Amino acid sequence: MFLTDARVEGRRQVARAMWVITLDAPEVAATVKAGQFVNLGLNPGPLLRRPFSVYRAIEDRIEVILQAVGAGTAQLLALREGDLVSCLGPLGRGFEIRSGGRSAVLISGGLGVAPMPVAARDARAAGLQVTWVHGARSAEDLCSESDGDAVIVATDDGSAGFAGTSVAAAPDADLVLACGPNRMLAAVAGRWPDAQVAVETYMGCGTGVCLGCAVPLKRGGYDLACTEGPVYRAGDVDWAALPSHLHYAATA
Amino acid sequence: MSVDMTVRIGGLQLRGPVMAASGTFGYGTEVPLLERRALGAMVSKGIFLKPRHGTAPPRIAETPSGMLNAIGLQGPGAEALIRDYAPQWAGWEFPVLVNINGESVSDYGELAARLDGVPGVAGFEVNISCPNVEQGGMYFGNDPRAAAAVTEAVRRRTRLPVWVKLTPMVADIGVIARAVESAGADAVSAVNTFVGMSMDINAYHPRLSFGTGGLSGPAIRPLAVHLAHQAARAVDIPVIGVGGIMRAEDALEFLIAGCTAVQVGTATFVNPKAIADVHDGIAAYLATKGFASLAELPRYLPRD
Ligand SMILES: Cc1cc2nc3c(=O)[nH]c(=O)nc-3n(C[C@H](O)[C@H](O)[C@H](O)COP(=O)(O)OP(=O)(O)OC[C@H]3O[C@@H](n4cnc5c(N)ncnc54)[C@H](O)[C@@H]3O)c2cc1C
Ligand SMILES: Cc1cc2nc3c(=O)[nH]c(=O)nc-3n(C[C@H](O)[C@H](O)[C@H](O)COP(=O)(O)O)c2cc1C
Ligand code: FES
Repeated sequence: MFLTDARVEGRRQVARAMWVITLDAPEVAATVKAGQFVNLGLNPGPLLRRPFSVYRAIEDRIEVILQAVGAGTAQLLALREGDLVSCLGPLGRGFEIRSGGRSAVLISGGLGVAPMPVAARDARAAGLQVTWVHGARSAEDLCSESDGDAVIVATDDGSAGFAGTSVAAAPDADLVLACGPNRMLAAVAGRWPDAQVAVETYMGCGTGVCLGCAVPLKRGGYDLACTEGPVYRAGDVDWAALPSHLHYAATA
Repeated sequence: MSVDMTVRIGGLQLRGPVMAASGTFGYGTEVPLLERRALGAMVSKGIFLKPRHGTAPPRIAETPSGMLNAIGLQGPGAEALIRDYAPQWAGWEFPVLVNINGESVSDYGELAARLDGVPGVAGFEVNISCPNVEQGGMYFGNDPRAAAAVTEAVRRRTRLPVWVKLTPMVADIGVIARAVESAGADAVSAVNTFVGMSMDINAYHPRLSFGTGGLSGPAIRPLAVHLAHQAARAVDIPVIGVGGIMRAEDALEFLIAGCTAVQVGTATFVNPKAIADVHDGIAAYLATKGFASLAELPRYLPRD
């Protein structure tokens, strides 16, 4: 884990109100695994850091995909090239992508696409045939980056691709990875209990000391999303007890 | 010139005045990038005798310059603490105190007795911000008699240092501080979180599943400085200031207000190196002012 002042290197728009920012963070870029996140801090800014999946790692740089949902994300999107943001990471236990099997499907809802490029990279490296399933409210909300792999698109309003959710549009595969609103992940759990899903919770510290990021488990008790997650076996989470409160990936 | 930063608190000699506050540092094994050299002491996450699952999410909510938490004292219980953590603490070069909690006076005493003599446990911080289940859920910390009873129950079962963590939710913190001093406390920590509430205006209910939560962070600092100061005026035992310390300057406010040492809590969530930064900043300040030791720092402590 590293704590650095990362320089903002650029920003590009990937869908309506959805942006990717590039940060210079060599240690994170070199070590990040699929599904891990960074905790970004702004000073001046909100008191607590904000967790973001690493979208891509390219040489010395990482990318983060985001939408302005509140003060912190709005401030991150207002940063200019050369500005500094405090970056703590990589954090959490990411996806477990092992060789064996032939196919992987990466199912996302809205901003849930965030951990998928690194997951696709690792799945390809493990010899798996990768298919992305992007879901969004409508065509303009789709981030359709898919790095050359096969893509299926689903929209709630039918304005692009399959009319319905990304979960409904997804084919079966040997490895199922999903990220999006918790209610979407609950649907994933219904269809593939063995799928690996990245959940969202409020986070205080991101490092396992505040116990704020509790994820209720089927077997009883709680786990910490920041250190034991954010990736879980879909069938292990008590979805009814996990609030779907975050604006993160507001749509499936 | 290096400044003498050592402090003495109720039988413990600390190499520096900055400690990790309970519940913000886990059991000391989790904090990343930890700079141990700067830690005067560590207070563990609060535990009960028995394991506890804690409250349902959402457990935290950010507020202006602060945060509310309702963790519900999730913890592994005394046996797991003795097995998994205390052996590691025994090898550390700073003392670890265990923050102890209970639902009855006898709970506290039993927990202290169980942990007394365990290598690695250097003392106790008694959290009296717990509901007294035997007396209808009244908080021990709100009532001088209950606070004294808990302190005495712990005092009787251990020869280790006993610190009492005071709640700010009282009419006169001096009264509680004096009560626990008379009952045998070696020091008091002031203060715990303030009880607060925040509403989700889209869902029409509180942002925390528990309803209320404890407010911490810079938002409470001036309140905490005042309460720590009032406690310091009321008792002769050392007072440990806690509440909203983010930087050395904040810690110095508590020290000048009459505190012997300080604890850093929420700041660690934001900056994993906060304790080291505060420690180094105090040392640099003292050197700049020409003091050879922390003991020389002038205190504002008028006697009534
Ligand atoms: C492991 C993880 C990975 C994430 N990855 C991404 C990502 O790649 N891209 C992305 O856009 N978003 C991601 N999020 C969500 C992102 O962290 C929140 O959208 C962000 O914190 C909101 O901050 P804000 O100040 O803009 O919003 P605020 O005004 O503070 O609140 C807006 C909403 O954001 C959420 N939020 C606020 N504080 C936190 C917090 N400390 N932790 C989590 N959620 C919070 C709440 O739902 C809140 O209602 C991720 C969250 C987690 C837990
Ligand atoms: C998430 C969290 C958990 C806490 N847990 C405990 C606890 O178990 N026992 C205790 O006495 N105080 C606990 N506290 C209170 C802190 O030790 C401290 O008194 C308070 O947060 C004020 O200091 P700060 O503003 O520096 O955080 C907790 C605080 C937070 C934020
Ligand atoms: S966010 Fe603090 S323990 Fe997970």
